Amino acid sequence: MQPNLFLILFLIALTSLCDTINQLFLKSTIDALKPPAFNIFLVLKFIWGLIRTPKLWIGFIFSVISLCIWLFVLSKSDLNFAFSADSMHYIFIALASGLVLKERIGRLRLIGTAVIIIGIILVSLK
Amino acid sequence: MFKKKVTLKILALLVFSDILETAIHFFFKKSVLSQSGFQVTGLASAVVFIKTAFASPFLWAGVLTVICVFVIWSTILSRIDLSVAVPIASFSYILVPLVSIIFLHEQISALRWLGIIFILFGVILVSLSSKERVS
Repeated sequence: MQPNLFLILFLIALTSLCDTINQLFLKSTIDALKPPAFNIFLVLKFIWGLIRTPKLWIGFIFSVISLCIWLFVLSKSDLNFAFSADSMHYIFIALASGLVLKERIGRLRLIGTAVIIIGIILVSLK
Repeated sequence: MFKKKVTLKILALLVFSDILETAIHFFFKKSVLSQSGFQVTGLASAVVFIKTAFASPFLWAGVLTVICVFVIWSTILSRIDLSVAVPIASFSYILVPLVSIIFLHEQISALRWLGIIFILFGVILVSLSSKERVS
């Protein structure tokens, strides 16, 4: 068992939040560009387009912060625990999809998210 | 906004990114394995911790894999909704615990497996809810 379970869980929540922010920036950057066909040159051109977008770099900063916190979490806990608990990003992504990206959130997805929360609690119990 | 549904090509890309995703977490865990007793008490010790981690080749293997996954994800996310892509990419919820047992010699209790199954089940429900929208 981890000595500071709640600290570890808090830090994992922090990385999940950073990751969700990163995903939001990524998604809104990609939506603004034309989706490429499955053609290597078009894909490379698409990636070049991504790299030139400032929004993408803001997302990048958040993912670097997330990585540093994540490395600390991994040094203190088992990989299987940290990774399973990291599924709390589903909660953040469901919230972000509904509130920021304005995607529709069905009842089934709400139930699914609740089941994930129960799973995280079980995983944390050891 | 609604986009095209999941095709076989996208599914193949998602499975590939799952395997790479699992590799990322394995590499990152390996990069800090020697620092499990390290105490971070302030900014200075945090910098030492990060510096030591970044000196590990495993960390750079992880970062390289992250870039690969990023390129694959860029393609996937331009085709389907974030809320559809993420649940399908959750196959790694089984892969990571398996890799943890086989390569890192971690132990997983029955209760934790139950939790993992709950998480997976929740993820499947989330996936089904997005399928419901295809009409």
